Amino acid sequence: MSFVLSVLVFLPLLAAPSVYLATRANRRAGLYLSLALGAVVLAIALYTSWAVYSSPPAPGQYQLSERYSWINFRPVGLDFHLGVDGLSSPLLLVSALLTVLAIFGSRKLIDHHEPEYYSLIFLFEGAIMGVFTSLNLILFYVFWEVVLIPMFFFIGVWGGPRRKYAAMKFIIFTYAGSTIMLLGFLYVYLGMGSSPSFDIQDLSGHIPVALQYLPLLASFIGFAVKLPLVPFHTWLPDAHVEAPSPISVLLAGVLLKMGGYGFLRISMGLFPQASYQYAWVFLVLGLFSMFYGAAAAILQKDLKKMIAFTSINHMGFVLFGAYATLAYGNLLGVQGAIFQMFAHALAVGSLFMLSGYIQHQAGTREIPSLHGLGTSMPRTATILVLASAAAMGLPPFASFLAEFLVIAAGISAFSLTAISILVPVITAGYFLWMIRRVVLSAPEPGHEVHDMGWADVASFAAYLVPLVVLIVFSYLILTPAAPVAAYLWGLA
Amino acid sequence: MLAGYILAGVLAASMLLIALATLYPSGSSPFGDLISPDQLGGVFALVTVGVTLAVTVASFETTKGSSAPVYYSLLSFTALGMALLAYSRDLLMLFVAWELMSLPTYALAGYDKKLRSNEAAVKYAIIGAMSSAIILYAISLAYGLTGSTQISAVVAGFYAHPTALAGISTLLFVAGFGFKMSIVPFHMWIPDAYEGAPTTVSTLLAAATKKAGFVAAIRVLLGITTLYAVTQNPLFTMANVFAVLALLTMTVGNVAALTQKSMTRLLAYSSIAQAGYILIGFVAFSADPTSNAASIGLTGSILHVINHATMKGAAFLAAAAVLLQLKRADLGAYDGLARRMPITAFTMTIALLSLAGVPPLSGFWSKLLLFLSVANGPFAWLALAAILNSAFSLGYYAWIIKRMFVDEPENPERVREPIWFVVVFAVLVGLIVGIGLFPQQAISFASGAASSLFG
Repeated sequence: MSFVLSVLVFLPLLAAPSVYLATRANRRAGLYLSLALGAVVLAIALYTSWAVYSSPPAPGQYQLSERYSWINFRPVGLDFHLGVDGLSSPLLLVSALLTVLAIFGSRKLIDHHEPEYYSLIFLFEGAIMGVFTSLNLILFYVFWEVVLIPMFFFIGVWGGPRRKYAAMKFIIFTYAGSTIMLLGFLYVYLGMGSSPSFDIQDLSGHIPVALQYLPLLASFIGFAVKLPLVPFHTWLPDAHVEAPSPISVLLAGVLLKMGGYGFLRISMGLFPQASYQYAWVFLVLGLFSMFYGAAAAILQKDLKKMIAFTSINHMGFVLFGAYATLAYGNLLGVQGAIFQMFAHALAVGSLFMLSGYIQHQAGTREIPSLHGLGTSMPRTATILVLASAAAMGLPPFASFLAEFLVIAAGISAFSLTAISILVPVITAGYFLWMIRRVVLSAPEPGHEVHDMGWADVASFAAYLVPLVVLIVFSYLILTPAAPVAAYLWGLA
Repeated sequence: MLAGYILAGVLAASMLLIALATLYPSGSSPFGDLISPDQLGGVFALVTVGVTLAVTVASFETTKGSSAPVYYSLLSFTALGMALLAYSRDLLMLFVAWELMSLPTYALAGYDKKLRSNEAAVKYAIIGAMSSAIILYAISLAYGLTGSTQISAVVAGFYAHPTALAGISTLLFVAGFGFKMSIVPFHMWIPDAYEGAPTTVSTLLAAATKKAGFVAAIRVLLGITTLYAVTQNPLFTMANVFAVLALLTMTVGNVAALTQKSMTRLLAYSSIAQAGYILIGFVAFSADPTSNAASIGLTGSILHVINHATMKGAAFLAAAAVLLQLKRADLGAYDGLARRMPITAFTMTIALLSLAGVPPLSGFWSKLLLFLSVANGPFAWLALAAILNSAFSLGYYAWIIKRMFVDEPENPERVREPIWFVVVFAVLVGLIVGIGLFPQQAISFASGAASSLFG
């Protein structure tokens, strides 16, 4: 039995108090300690990904799994059960990477209550690692909810002018969604009769079809709020606009992935036949989200709000791809969805961080008030163009490949879904329009702005270089994802 | 002050004795059939005496001067009454213990000698006397029907001969205990009494005497399975009655809590809502006492009683500390409290999150078991209603947390936090977080208590 995953989950949770004390004593020391701890977690996540890649677990099996008896009284038994496969390992890796980058980006943007801030980041990271590794529904739910608490404080304490409203809306929406999801899990448990279980691995493939419909609906509500799927998305633009930029990175890059992960691991993994029957509903909803997110983004004047709607559009691809596989059996859909989650986290994460820098340096992030960044802030502008290219799915960034796989799988399921090819076109349209207005216009005379330093440029390279690397070595993600896709299709 | 220290010592010692007696049961009772030491009694005696101890320690800060000996001796009588009630096996013993518990609290509620406090005390005393009368009437009916005041004999007699009078006696028990358990529609006195009474006394009422109502209900009601005899209508089973009461109680409590402007009233309504959750276990049990769901549900009810005592105790005492230092109980006093009284604000946050059922705090586990017990089957609608209630309740709990951490205080000056309160906070927060992270011990304790009832 390995204990790598326990360390991955509990190291950040236990690190939180020490980060608090260190930052209280000395601001710099706290920042360096946070970065060092974040790097250690990233190294463990890298090891985990390598373990999954070097010996991919068989379909339905998990690598590095550990299982201990946790709560046990007649007639309820709960195991503390962790494991990773090709679905969770990319998400663990990208979460750990974004946490380090968010800490680095916070050093200039966060200027009050720092001890609380940095310790909450580690609480958040530990809970996220728990969500992506737990193989017990109740354990999964516990971590799922723990994620909410730091995010509520991030938005409420360090947010923008309407932070109180945004924080309340965020916590009420997501909590309501996830309690309904919990009810679905409880329904399954009691319905299993003589062999009740909360274990994902034990339940997968053994739930009678008649028992699948209501829990599918219940878990759909929980995951659709997180993903977020139109019309459950209204908390997201508010939360993003008010959250400080490093937190937007975590919100878009990590928290939204919980929804996509839930759809793949639980909606499809536990309720496959019911998912199969209603796959067309999910396809239509995903397609609608893609178009809606792209269309709404055109109208936004706030750079950050525009990127927030881009997230809705991109996460629609995840749902669409996943259920395209279920509808027809083209495994590229699930592989593309996993790839898209990884690529979206980095591409949109870098854009959110950039919007924070732009606001910090230029004093605004309203697109109409930003002029001539190309001449006044050349380094920032270059990175903005590159990150936009990554977000709109332009080669050589891996997001191109992810969207291509998803659309291909969609066409093989139902040829009319070829219409989804228009979504990247719209996305490219509003990004290029934004670039023309913000970067290529003439600078405002007499308006002094500072460009970003080279350290920050290097940190943005950490977002974008992996995307270029992964379009070449795409098998690093697609090979471990293949057994997951095959397993999910096999169930249905 | 000396009286307070003595009482705290005595209560701590009796908790130790109760714990030892519960862990190493001797099997025979020196009091014959009146009281007997089973695990169910042990759990409730520990909880009620423990809350009294917490209230006593916190009262070191609030109760000073010549009347303190009276205050502490009233507390000690209440504690004795609650402990006896927990162990009662006989309806007459139960009634005597009930009165021993209730009478001192009437005086305690009016202890402030302010108009508000006296009004609360009078209202509470009148309603309390009425509930005692109802219980006494129910006992007399039970004795007339079965010829015994032994609870087990009464339950068996009702079960064997479910006559109309037995049904009426059952309903009277529900009403009589319902006043203490704060079940809608027997709840109207609660907000006024909790708000008017000194907040330390409100803590005792919400976190301890209310639990006494639940142990009486568990001992008496759960064995009585049918109202069917009265109406000949299958809709009127005890499970349906409890389900409707649970739904009403949690919904009315949560909706009313949302509109309150004073912290003690808000906590009072939230306490009513929590009673509704505890009733869910009764529903699962009376629907089919032999099923897995029944044992999950009853375990959940008992665990929620334990957790509610710590969560509500922490929340009420935090409110008491704010009232003591800031002289205000309205919600405006909580704006920016995290800067003024950080320990109190932290305690309040943990207590409120746990009340909302956010994992990994203790309230999550008991709610999980309660919801699980009815999640599938004829009462699945109740589970859905409870889950939605739970989500809804986070609305006002998170609102308070937002006020404490996000909003700006009128006066950002740091306020001293009374040391005895801090001691109690540390213990209660430790219990909430500890049971939340390592629920196994608490759950098996509660499950042992549940099985000792009909073992």
